[in-house]
Amino acid sequence: MSTIAETAARGQARRRLRFDGWRWGGRIFLVFMLLYTALPMVWMLLTSIKSGFAAMQFPPQWWPDQPTLASYQKLLDPQNSVGQDFLRFFWNSLFVSTATTVLSVIVAVPAAYAFSRFTFPGRNFLFFTVLLRNMFPAVIFLVPLFILMRAIGLVNTHGSLVLTYLTFGLPLAIWLLKGFYDNIPVQLEQAARIDGATRFQAFILIVMPLSTPGIIATAIYSFIGAWNEYIYAYTFLSKNEQLTLPVGIQRFFSENTTDFPGLMAASFIMSVPVVVLFLVLQRYFVRALTEGAVKH
Amino acid sequence: MTIVTGKTEARRRLQPGKSGVLRKIWEHRADYAYVLPAIAVMLVVIAYPIYYTIELSFFNTPPGLQLRDKTFVGFNNYTAILTSAVFWKVTWNTLIWTVGSTGISFVLGFAAALALHRDFFGRGVLRAILIIPWVISAVAASYIWKWIYHSDFGIIGAVLVGLGLADRPPNFIDSVSTVLPSLIVVNIWREFPFAMIMMMAGLQTVPDQLLRAAKVDGANAWQRFWHVTFPHLRNVSTVTILLLAVANFNSFIIPWIMTGGGPSNASHIWITHIYELAFGRQRWGVASAYSVLLFIILMTFGYFYVRALSGNDRKDGSA
Repeated sequence: MSTIAETAARGQARRRLRFDGWRWGGRIFLVFMLLYTALPMVWMLLTSIKSGFAAMQFPPQWWPDQPTLASYQKLLDPQNSVGQDFLRFFWNSLFVSTATTVLSVIVAVPAAYAFSRFTFPGRNFLFFTVLLRNMFPAVIFLVPLFILMRAIGLVNTHGSLVLTYLTFGLPLAIWLLKGFYDNIPVQLEQAARIDGATRFQAFILIVMPLSTPGIIATAIYSFIGAWNEYIYAYTFLSKNEQLTLPVGIQRFFSENTTDFPGLMAASFIMSVPVVVLFLVLQRYFVRALTEGAVKH
Repeated sequence: MTIVTGKTEARRRLQPGKSGVLRKIWEHRADYAYVLPAIAVMLVVIAYPIYYTIELSFFNTPPGLQLRDKTFVGFNNYTAILTSAVFWKVTWNTLIWTVGSTGISFVLGFAAALALHRDFFGRGVLRAILIIPWVISAVAASYIWKWIYHSDFGIIGAVLVGLGLADRPPNFIDSVSTVLPSLIVVNIWREFPFAMIMMMAGLQTVPDQLLRAAKVDGANAWQRFWHVTFPHLRNVSTVTILLLAVANFNSFIIPWIMTGGGPSNASHIWITHIYELAFGRQRWGVASAYSVLLFIILMTFGYFYVRALSGNDRKDGSA
């Protein structure tokens, strides 16, 4: 009896020991990843609260001697010209991203629903055509789209950006939402229709509420994509008052090549909306990926 | 997958024999209304540019966008590209960039997902922090890292000097030999969270009973991972790697903002090179020919992409 218990205990101890090896390896790895991920962001924040002089020192001031919010005040002050520009870029980005998001959802929801529920000739072909859009880099479409936008008079308008951003977001949006609709039992809709609802009513009252997480995920994805987009904004817009943030920051930097605190502050302000949005809604996003992208 | 409403089924049974694509399309005319907006936008913004790029690749164009003066040159643009030394240099860079970024991002992301799979205190916070770089704009990320790599005031250089590993701060992005690896580090910083999210989602689909059964049968942690977890993740892994590879192959912002392709083309990849040919030197014809070559490569990727995705669907349909 006792020997059996002893061997069992020893076996358990050994197993736990080996187990701990993996666990410790995982912990050390996570610490490494945390440093890799967070240190650049911490350094951005620390630089942004230094004066221009304090930032340009060797060896660097690890912690700023005299922390100052001067860079933030400069960027957010509507009275001076830098602040005026920056706030305008901010609003432009907000407008373009919001418009893109709303349109993406309006276009993607019915398309994803149709791809999930209906069988019509060419369905698979169309579905993969939509997905293939993801494969192609923005640069390929740049020249012809620029000419196209010029022809329809959209160059130097935010409309040109909304239209192109829409097509970035759509493929993943449709794919994610289709995954969601695939997982919603058709019987629910059929029951509603037996009770006298039209297909449209069944869709609005049954399917839409169930797919809310998917729609939220789609919206976040579109918003972040539009907010961060650079190439088209860089090519399509030339008037200073229409620039979006990524291009605006680049222009700001090319004019003030040594103002690193200002640049870091601008990068920080630009990151805040999307990071906050993502952190608040991330569980929907992760869930949408689980249910949409990764089929059970 | 294949859901046929009772109504259409009945209609189909009423009219046997009269099967034709047109009739089918007519029967489903209402269904197309749902996808029409998506398809219309796609057509304008994709089909037309593709056609136009192919056309332009056979022409020699004058600088500026006065495209009426273009002259037909046949395959000259293509032969010019394939015989130039820059092409092979850029292709090599693109290969290193794509394979390096994709491989390391995937491995790091996968490992992070595994390490985060078990519940522990602070897991949610840690996960959120690790995802942030993926959400930050690539332009902001490029400037942050440009500042970190700065040859005079960069923090990495200062740390290396402080530890006595270097006499003076190294020139990470102004030196031909270090520029590409330095940029890849930035790219991985932004991309590994995507792999992590995908693999975390995938890990949730691995049945717990199987893992427990394997444990009872005496499988150690590595064996459980290799024989139970990993086979379940094959599909997710394929999709993730393909998406990462395509995204990396198509990246532009990080090399463009951080180095503009320099020094002496050491960090030019295909996309930045095409951009410079088109908008820098205004050689639209050559740039278009490059784009067409790019299409061909991407279609190869695309073939595997579609196969991986539809493989998913097929399994789904039978389940």
